[in-house]
Amino acid sequence: MAKPKLALYWAASCGGCDVAVLDTNEKILDIANLCDIVFWPIAVDFKYHHVEAMADKSIDLCLFNGAVRNSEQEKIAKLLRSKSKVMIAFGSCACFGGIPGMANFTTREDILQRVYVEAPSNSNNDKTIPQVTTKVAEGELDLPELFDTVLTLEQVVPVEYFVPGCPPPVELILKLVDLYATGKLPPPGAVVASDKTCCDECDRIKEEKKITKIFRPHQIIPDTKKCFLEQGIICCGPATRGGCGMRCVKANMPCRGCFGPPPGVIDQGAKMLSALASIYQANDEEGVSRLINEVLDPAGTFYRFGLPDSMLKRKRL
Amino acid sequence: MVKISIDPITRLEGHGKIEIFLNNEGEVENTYLQIPELRGFEKFCEGRPVEELPRIVPRICGV
Amino acid sequence: MSNQFEPRIVGFLCNWCSYSGADLAGTSRVKYPPNVDIIRVMCSGRVDPQFVLKAFQKGADGVLICGCHPGDCHYAEGNYKAGRRIPLLKKMLSQLGIEDGRVRLEWVSASEGERFAAVVNDMTEQVRKLGPFNGNGGSKNG
Repeated sequence: MAKPKLALYWAASCGGCDVAVLDTNEKILDIANLCDIVFWPIAVDFKYHHVEAMADKSIDLCLFNGAVRNSEQEKIAKLLRSKSKVMIAFGSCACFGGIPGMANFTTREDILQRVYVEAPSNSNNDKTIPQVTTKVAEGELDLPELFDTVLTLEQVVPVEYFVPGCPPPVELILKLVDLYATGKLPPPGAVVASDKTCCDECDRIKEEKKITKIFRPHQIIPDTKKCFLEQGIICCGPATRGGCGMRCVKANMPCRGCFGPPPGVIDQGAKMLSALASIYQANDEEGVSRLINEVLDPAGTFYRFGLPDSMLKRKRL
Repeated sequence: MVKISIDPITRLEGHGKIEIFLNNEGEVENTYLQIPELRGFEKFCEGRPVEELPRIVPRICGV
Repeated sequence: MSNQFEPRIVGFLCNWCSYSGADLAGTSRVKYPPNVDIIRVMCSGRVDPQFVLKAFQKGADGVLICGCHPGDCHYAEGNYKAGRRIPLLKKMLSQLGIEDGRVRLEWVSASEGERFAAVVNDMTEQVRKLGPFNGNGGSKNG
């Protein structure tokens, strides 16, 4: 019997999710034994034309990481969708937009200007900016079209499963492989992680959440055993899905929400904002003013990994 | 002029494609490496609190 | 028939004070613009920031939240929470390019019918000047 065919692809990505799969160490050999890897740019030398030549739905499982923010990524997302039986949004970028999703605070024009013209380290006196089509002496070169807006994978093609995380923890990847190999995948649409929030998983001491000040790192030495929020340090745990093993918190860094919203929450940033405002004690104008000033970057902190997935999706153009 | 595309380039971190132009004698006239990706970290990091940058910029490269 | 832009404003009014206040404006026959669609909630503290975002997502040009005056909340603390959530939400929305005048928090008591009408009048004109919300619907370009 033929082995199932596995494809992995990266769009607007850092490569971390591909490395996470490789981080399964010797278990990667189990995966390679279980499946035929038919496309995986970081590790195997298959080209786009190989994928184009495949029959529709001939790929059994596609792990797609990275957000979609240019025409090539959109094209390959659609190509892989047509060739795959099951498409998985792998990693926070594909699930929610991820860190590259913060480009939704700006526009393609501003990005191009900053990167190619304004950046102090540039040596670009001609102010050359990459174009979709460039004529050279020998012929023509083309590049994908950059979008103004970063999209999640689901905003481009239908997706069967979501594996969140920046990157997804190795345990979660192995759980996914196991579920697939034993035919026990949940109903489509599921997020392969916990159904509770990070706070449920976190073993820090939680007493009462009432704070009167929000601290920046240089203003406080965090207690390693106490809840971050109770110390006045912004932690996005209450509005974040669990299942990550609390990697950041165990390293004494507060959560920034890479597992996305918990079940039932549509807009992660709005929920986190609400939670923080609830625990901050201030009943008059002066107190509220303090709160507003102490939260330096609400949108960039509460939507760190999920701006494209939020209700408003981006800064108004 | 014949154009040969190597797309995508593989077994490294990042996106790239190579275009090779061959002249009528079948010799390489010129070769171009293009990077078909841009995420804009240089722009969207502006305005973020400085203490958050060490948690944002490692996502430039996960390798 | 005027060609003027008519703002659509969603109003979340707390059951005990501000909804009664709005009701009083009605029974007193105070004139005010019809641009606010009122949704009664039990307390201004019930107003989840997601409600405000959804209103904009669905086409509202402005959102008004009204609650009891500080100290008068039927549930003791609900309006204090609203008093923290809404200003923080406004700061976050300004980072997303949404003007200050589009979201407004006001304390309106059950006897302040005239005041409610004045608030609606003022906010309608303010949002009219700001223009339609026109959020980018998530399409890839502009």
